[in-house]
Amino acid sequence: MKSCSIGRRTAGVTLAALMATALAACGGSAPARDEGALTIGVAFETLQTEFWVAAWNKLRADTAERKITMLEAVADGDPNRQLEQVRTFINRRVDGIILVPKDGKTVIPMIRAANAAGIPVVLFNRPADRTDAPHTAIVPDNVAITKATVEYLIEQARASGSPAKAAILLGDLSDVNAIGRRDGFEAAVKEAGDAVQVVSRIPTEWNQERALAGLQSAFQAHPDISLVLTSSDFMLPSIKSVLSSLGKWQRVGDEGHVILGGFDGDPTAYSMMLDGYLDATGVQDVFWEAEQAIEVIVGAKSGKSPPARIEDPGFAITQANMASMADRMWGAVMARRGP
Amino acid sequence: MSWVGGGGKGEGKRGKGEGNPGAVALALNVGAFLTFALLVPGFATGPNLETVVISALPLFLLAVGQTFVLISAGIDLSSTAVVGLVSVVGGVVMSAEEGTQGGTLGTLTGLAAMLATGVAAGAVNGACVGWLRMPAFMVTLTLGMFAGGLAVWLARTVAATETLYGLPSQFLQIGGDAGIALALTAALGIAAHGLLSGTLFGRALQSVGYNARVALVSGLRVQRVILATYVLGGLFAAFAAVLLTGRLETASPTHGRQLLLDVIGATVIGGTSLSGGRGRIGWTALGVLFLALVGNGLTLMNLSDFAITIVKGLVILAAALLDAWRVRRRGRS
Repeated sequence: MKSCSIGRRTAGVTLAALMATALAACGGSAPARDEGALTIGVAFETLQTEFWVAAWNKLRADTAERKITMLEAVADGDPNRQLEQVRTFINRRVDGIILVPKDGKTVIPMIRAANAAGIPVVLFNRPADRTDAPHTAIVPDNVAITKATVEYLIEQARASGSPAKAAILLGDLSDVNAIGRRDGFEAAVKEAGDAVQVVSRIPTEWNQERALAGLQSAFQAHPDISLVLTSSDFMLPSIKSVLSSLGKWQRVGDEGHVILGGFDGDPTAYSMMLDGYLDATGVQDVFWEAEQAIEVIVGAKSGKSPPARIEDPGFAITQANMASMADRMWGAVMARRGP
Repeated sequence: MSWVGGGGKGEGKRGKGEGNPGAVALALNVGAFLTFALLVPGFATGPNLETVVISALPLFLLAVGQTFVLISAGIDLSSTAVVGLVSVVGGVVMSAEEGTQGGTLGTLTGLAAMLATGVAAGAVNGACVGWLRMPAFMVTLTLGMFAGGLAVWLARTVAATETLYGLPSQFLQIGGDAGIALALTAALGIAAHGLLSGTLFGRALQSVGYNARVALVSGLRVQRVILATYVLGGLFAAFAAVLLTGRLETASPTHGRQLLLDVIGATVIGGTSLSGGRGRIGWTALGVLFLALVGNGLTLMNLSDFAITIVKGLVILAAALLDAWRVRRRGRS
């Protein structure tokens, strides 16, 4: 009986509190804000890789410099949480939302919610699946960046005087980024004609262990592979492991050096370029992408129609241009800043 | 041997020296609400509080299932993985891209398949814990791994992708329409409260959780109670999956994956004992509301994700310590 009475009392007090909460909610009002100042909501799916941290820091720095208020939210991989965060931004009547979604599908209801409130949405570096909900997607031009990188690698191979035997570590081919990078590689190889022969296309599904095992097998079958491209820099440590075990982890210009290229421009790639082991890597210009994302929202506020798609042309950073281009390489900036 | 050996805390009289966990949870909510209302512009507004409540509905349903399991002195570490599996099963049945049926028939078939999947997962857990007397954490952790892997395999095999889109609009409304989602959740919450507080099953469950050995000697069918408890856990996980899938318009094996700590945390903050025998659905609602208010308030304060995670972790740790203190006092009294 006692526990019953406690239950009723608790239920009564709970009900009263919830009613009070509801009353307070109805009586509350949206926060007042200086109409001249801009507020942008930035919601990232994760901050667990250096690439996203670099983008986040750039957005923070640029909004602060332009005296724009940046509301921050990280969903930790939970799309339901991200939808809540987007709705919270909408409730706070932000002027625009920059989103890194978990995937291209769960983001669609978020875009629609923002559309309904008349708030422009920018998808940063991760596009939505097919949808008629208006938004801006800023994406890297994977094909062009990879092609430029591979052209440099082939140039180095030509300089050695003999045709190159090449291997590529492919990403997960259900990922548009992986497909674009493969296509960029194939386009450069095709244009090079007899200067390069692709002897191995290694599927990794973005898995380091698969990359390692696949590359080991490729070198067993073709010990004369002289050019390797990875579709992402995060697989460089696997490549180093395989080449070291074969005695082929040599600096550029040294006897036995395997011409090596990557994609991303992360701190590991920067460090390997500084040390002279990596010939080139394709860099997504994350700083430029961040500037564009803010610019789209500022433009929308002043009446400009946001574009549906902005392609980051990126660039290839090579041993030849590193001195002049390193400041634009996000991995270099992160590496110099330190942990 | 697990649940038979799990008794021993029932020497004292139930309820003595435990305080009122519901009142503590209520005070936490009032404190959090007033603090954020005073400090954070935009917190105490109708639209924001509506967002908080609607977003927390799947968490509440998962926590209701966990409340049943924790009262039985067990734990269900598989519930969030089951959400992903249930979501994919629904997607496979209903998706216009991959499924065979859309419309009302597709929706009903999909819902039936989703709920059946949740019940089946709960039944496996319950049978292993109840009859095979395996430790609950091991059984449910393993089933969680299995369900998570199966969900990804199923999605990739059937759809060649991990997410399924193009679900019927009738189905999407269940999770996407705030009114329907709230009404469904409220109905399920009230039903769960009635089951726990007003039926013989509810009393039997508390007796089993309080001291399974004594319950067995008293003639209770302990295995059946445990089976039913985990089945309820699976069923509520399935309902949570229905809401999440509808809300996000996508079936995915990753739905709910990040929620496990919040589920257990909200249940414990609500005063449900990790040692079994004590818990109420109303308390759990307060625990869920508190975590949702804290998460929203801290986000509006522009605190970093890491800071929010630290605060939530500390709150859950404090609730677990309070529970341990209550159990000790209960033992002494």
